[in-house]
Amino acid sequence: MRDKTLLLELNIIRRPNTNLVVLRALLDKEYTRIDFGYIATNHFIKGGWIRIAAETYLKIHGDDQKYKLTHADNIPIAPDHFNFQSNKDWQFFSLYFDPIPQKNMMIDIIEAENPDANDFNYYGIELNIENAVEILNIHY
Amino acid sequence: MPINKSAYRRYKVIDSCLRNKMKKYPTMQELVEAIQEKLDISTTPNTVEKDLKAMKLPAPDGFDAPINYDSSKRGYEYLDPDFSISGVSLNSYDIDAIKEAIEIISSIGGSRVSEKFSHAVEKMLSSVQEDLPKSDRERKIIQSESISSGRGFEHFDLFFSACRERIPVNFAHYSYTNRTFKSITIHPIILKEFENRWYVIGYSELHNSLRTFGFDRIYSPLTIRKEFIDTPNKIKEEYLNDVYGVYPLRDGKKEKIIIHTRPLISNYFRSHKVHDSQEVKILERGDAIITFNLVPSMELVRLFLSYGNQLVVKQPKRLVDYIEQNRDENAR
Repeated sequence: MRDKTLLLELNIIRRPNTNLVVLRALLDKEYTRIDFGYIATNHFIKGGWIRIAAETYLKIHGDDQKYKLTHADNIPIAPDHFNFQSNKDWQFFSLYFDPIPQKNMMIDIIEAENPDANDFNYYGIELNIENAVEILNIHY
Repeated sequence: MPINKSAYRRYKVIDSCLRNKMKKYPTMQELVEAIQEKLDISTTPNTVEKDLKAMKLPAPDGFDAPINYDSSKRGYEYLDPDFSISGVSLNSYDIDAIKEAIEIISSIGGSRVSEKFSHAVEKMLSSVQEDLPKSDRERKIIQSESISSGRGFEHFDLFFSACRERIPVNFAHYSYTNRTFKSITIHPIILKEFENRWYVIGYSELHNSLRTFGFDRIYSPLTIRKEFIDTPNKIKEEYLNDVYGVYPLRDGKKEKIIIHTRPLISNYFRSHKVHDSQEVKILERGDAIITFNLVPSMELVRLFLSYGNQLVVKQPKRLVDYIEQNRDENAR
């Protein structure tokens, strides 16, 4: 099983700001990839901007290890920004972390230790390996 | 890797030498001379040596040619005397027809499909020493909408294979209408092009029904190992044939739709059917009552709205209301 890349569909909306969705988790022996969808809001005239802190990490419940962010696709690492052009824009992006075990677990995604509502923090994402499917072909 | 055109031409000469019953076992020097003479180019034994090796490669890189060097005869031969790299014989009419087809397909978009096709045909024409038409140098006589550009078109190959091999695909999807992102798994059955946009249609696990997804709203499609869920043919046919466009409105049921058109617009409907079910009844003053039996769709609404006050929807009431509502919104 370890050599396979597993896909878990998540579709979990962040609260209280609901414009960020964790879409999927990909568990590979070399990385963990989390896919997100972000929808710009009319909080900002042109939709504002997004970025991800370099210190972002994954944490497994019951485990002190921090699984570090290694790479990001379609979202810049802070202090760079991705500026939206309008408050009706959207962005699909992926964050890559150190590999986590392919087993049932609960994880947190932590961008900021003391987050505000805009930080990309997620708590208690349940990864149920029984629901995972093997990916046959990865296309970026 | 594609074989280049000049290499094909050399292969063809080599092939004809190896098949020449009057002069068996051509030597390397004779092959070099034959190429120079027939193609009016200069070549070297080293190049021909490479050509012989390339011709021996299995398809699609080569021709699987059973080439052998007979040391006693000091020349080359085909071990199978009936072998030829040109498995088909084309006459001049066939060749002209193929060239025309290539021009038409290239005009339709120069898409990946036509690229692959051109390569295959190039290989075939090279075997009869013909070149592809150089459309870019010639007068363009067909103009059509391009289908090769646009966000998401890069997914074409993946979805095409998934439909053919019946492999489920998971992707991230952004809905323009709802402004929501979702991870979606579909069991794809068909790709559809409509008004220069590409769509994949398949059974969506999330919606528990057949759905249509525009390539431009799909991100990171992944083929997955999962049992393929097929959709009954009757449902497929209804979904695919009874809709104008791609996105059925709400419940997707087939209905009788009646419109009234002014004379100018009637001509367009008379000259080109929007759907197989279309029936036109011309009135005395050139107006028409046109009926359809199909599933109302977003594209049908858009088509009707595009004719402004030259077209009035009479039935069903729900569609009349929907169109009026959209007309109001467009007017804002």
